[in-house]
Amino acid sequence: MPMYQVKPIGGGPIKTDLPTCMYKLPNVHAQPGNSCTSEHALQNGEVDPAVKALEARQDEIMRKLYELKAAVEGLAKTVTTPDADLDLTVSSSLSSQSLSSTTFKGAVTDLDTLLGKDLGALRDIVINANPAQPPLSLMVLHSLLCQRYRVLSTVHVHSSVTGVLPQLLSCLGPRHADSYARHMFQLGFTLIWKDVPKLQMKFSVQNMCPIEGEANVARFLFKLLAPYPSDPALATLVDSWVDTAFFQLAEGSAKERSAVLRALNSALGRNPWLAGPDLSLADIACYCCVLQSGSASSAPTNVQRWIKSCENLGHFSPAKLLLQ
Amino acid sequence: MTKEEGKGPTEEEQQAQSKKGLKKQQKEAEKAAKKAEKQAKLAAEQQSTEEDDFAKDRYGVSAMVQSQQKLDRALVRVQDLNPEKADQLIWLRARVHTSRAKGKQCFLVLRQQQFNVQALVAVGDRASKQMVKFAANITKESIVDVEALVRKVEQKIESCSQQDVELHIERIFVISQAEPRLPLQLEDAVRPDGEGEEEGRATVNQDTKLDNRVIDLRTTTSQAIFRLQSGVCQLFRDTLTKKGFVEIQTPKIISAASEGGANVFTVSYFKTSAYLAQSPQLYKQMCICADFDKVFCVGPVFRAEDSNTHRHLTEFVGLDIEMAFNYHYHEVIDSITDTMVQIFKGLRDNFQTEIQTVNKQFPSEPFKFLEPTLRLEYTEALAMLHEAGVEMGDEDDLSTPNEKLLGRLVKEKYDTDFYVLDKYPLAVRPFYTMPDPSNPKYSNSYDMFMRGEEILSGAQRVHDAQLLTERAMHHQIDLEKIKAYIDSFRYGAPPHGGGGIGLERVCMLYLGLHNVRQTSMFPRDPKRLTP
Repeated sequence: MPMYQVKPIGGGPIKTDLPTCMYKLPNVHAQPGNSCTSEHALQNGEVDPAVKALEARQDEIMRKLYELKAAVEGLAKTVTTPDADLDLTVSSSLSSQSLSSTTFKGAVTDLDTLLGKDLGALRDIVINANPAQPPLSLMVLHSLLCQRYRVLSTVHVHSSVTGVLPQLLSCLGPRHADSYARHMFQLGFTLIWKDVPKLQMKFSVQNMCPIEGEANVARFLFKLLAPYPSDPALATLVDSWVDTAFFQLAEGSAKERSAVLRALNSALGRNPWLAGPDLSLADIACYCCVLQSGSASSAPTNVQRWIKSCENLGHFSPAKLLLQ
Repeated sequence: MTKEEGKGPTEEEQQAQSKKGLKKQQKEAEKAAKKAEKQAKLAAEQQSTEEDDFAKDRYGVSAMVQSQQKLDRALVRVQDLNPEKADQLIWLRARVHTSRAKGKQCFLVLRQQQFNVQALVAVGDRASKQMVKFAANITKESIVDVEALVRKVEQKIESCSQQDVELHIERIFVISQAEPRLPLQLEDAVRPDGEGEEEGRATVNQDTKLDNRVIDLRTTTSQAIFRLQSGVCQLFRDTLTKKGFVEIQTPKIISAASEGGANVFTVSYFKTSAYLAQSPQLYKQMCICADFDKVFCVGPVFRAEDSNTHRHLTEFVGLDIEMAFNYHYHEVIDSITDTMVQIFKGLRDNFQTEIQTVNKQFPSEPFKFLEPTLRLEYTEALAMLHEAGVEMGDEDDLSTPNEKLLGRLVKEKYDTDFYVLDKYPLAVRPFYTMPDPSNPKYSNSYDMFMRGEEILSGAQRVHDAQLLTERAMHHQIDLEKIKAYIDSFRYGAPPHGGGGIGLERVCMLYLGLHNVRQTSMFPRDPKRLTP
């Protein structure tokens, strides 16, 4: 006849408050595997310092390996990208000097000279855009501005539109941790999704009329990053590419579009970038319009290569995200 | 010669006089004849009325309804009259809006609230001549019961809300008769300002309207305004309840003035005196200290300010919010602004007809807003004003004209009629306002504006008894008087903030009206205590 099973009376290890004036010794009576959850753990859940150190070393080696991998990838990108600049994403893992070298090496631009005297308040750039036509180029310029200045980015929906897609609401990235204090920022970038026939930018109501059209707003924003090329011929070239992009690529017929793509192809055959040796507004505008018109995949080879180079620069990713 | 000359005119005069007399006599004779004719006509008419009237029991003034009988008669609403009901015989109760007799026909416009429909009594096999006459003589604003046939009309009736149908009346009974002389005409009361002047027609001034509020409230404009106001209240309650707020009721008779002490009404309270609450602030805060977490209340608020402006009332409805927050008072701002945006959205989506109706009489631009709400800081506002040429000190409060100007500037740049101004100077706020942690000149307080006028003023409150005592002393407030207030924070109080909105002001500004008395049903101001 089997015996009764009796429940333990004591109910597990008894915890007693020990005076702290004595040494602590491991429990000799405890059975292995009962009180220890892992093999190399000691009494009271304390991990052997030797194991800990080993783990830390391994983590450190792994981290270094990842960093190295990222750096090599970044270098590989710069090799394929004609501009000798480093990607936004790898810059953090490399030395801090790359942080200071932004894409645009022109004279350090000063907001006071560009936007007028500081009145001790946030300089807020307000952009009214139609959610039916998200301004991709401005997203790229926004991410470049964020790199240069402390920018407070906010997105609003105007009462004239309803049902704005969630990716349009988060297109300027996550909320800044300091966004509760507007005075801590150098520049405000306020995007308002609104029922407007044409993109519109307002800065100073008193001294400036609203700027209309994505191309013109892009020119304004770009000037906050770098001055226009001092060579007038080059400056005109940039301007003409910007207009071509917005009038013929974005709004033109299929015929016009393919003509522009051919022109781009031949221009990019001679130069790595569209206007001059460096990346310029021309590249940003054309890239975004090619993307928007959906002709990126069917573009000729030089254009394809140039698109790759653009994408290797981190600032172009917001535009791509917005299209998805 | 002179004699003759003197005689001549007198003769002429006499002649003229006799001529005049003749004319007079003639006229009198004519008058008498006319009178006789009229009397004869009247007699004839009377005779004809006394002649047998085949439709005698199809019209009349019915006995006063004293609930003698309970009829199962289904009454149709005017707003439900549409072509689908064509050729049906229906009963309807409505007011006579206008009546116009035209030969053997009489056109009536029957009104029910903001809806109206054209009705017709015509001599025929259903209606007699006498019935038409009776219908034509029903005074305006009387309430009638009507049995009628619904008919589709070829041409839309532009003057009525039910444009596709008219009623052919078969029976008409007066339920309640209005006096023939109305203190104001409804058409005059809804005429847009300025339009009447051109055409020489009357408009009704504000005081006449308010003196005869019962009739004024019958106008389409008033109907729309107060339906919208009810909507604001409803949306306010719904939104906050959904956010987990608890509605509370606070006393209106209080022992001590809650804010400062000025501007309170004193009432006699048995052997002593008491005050009428000028804000439920203290009680809201006590509820927070009592762990209600988030509360709101809707109730009357009294201000004994002798200001006769377009936006001040001595009694108004306050929509008050108070909530505990975790780490930053912007949590409170976010809650309040989101509530306001939900209200604006609800009004935009569900009250479009009301808004259009009010716009007919008081044209205004549609109310615009941003989501999430725009928040500017006080220093920014000052910079904008400075740019526009306004000189004012860093720690000065905004004057009303500056407020309006700022509203225009913000509207110009951001195209919004609703925004929050944050971080007011500490000096211009009440003692219980929490100072800014990084700059002692400023405070954690905010105002909200609609169309450039302040509708809400709020702040993070000091929830620490010691700091509160310091602040009160700084403002030279008698500590004895506010002892109860300070004591309520001695037993642990969560950080909290809130604000109060005036219902009438919100309605006024949302609709773009120019006087808060238009959005208060029975307004109270320093000069008006009735009706």
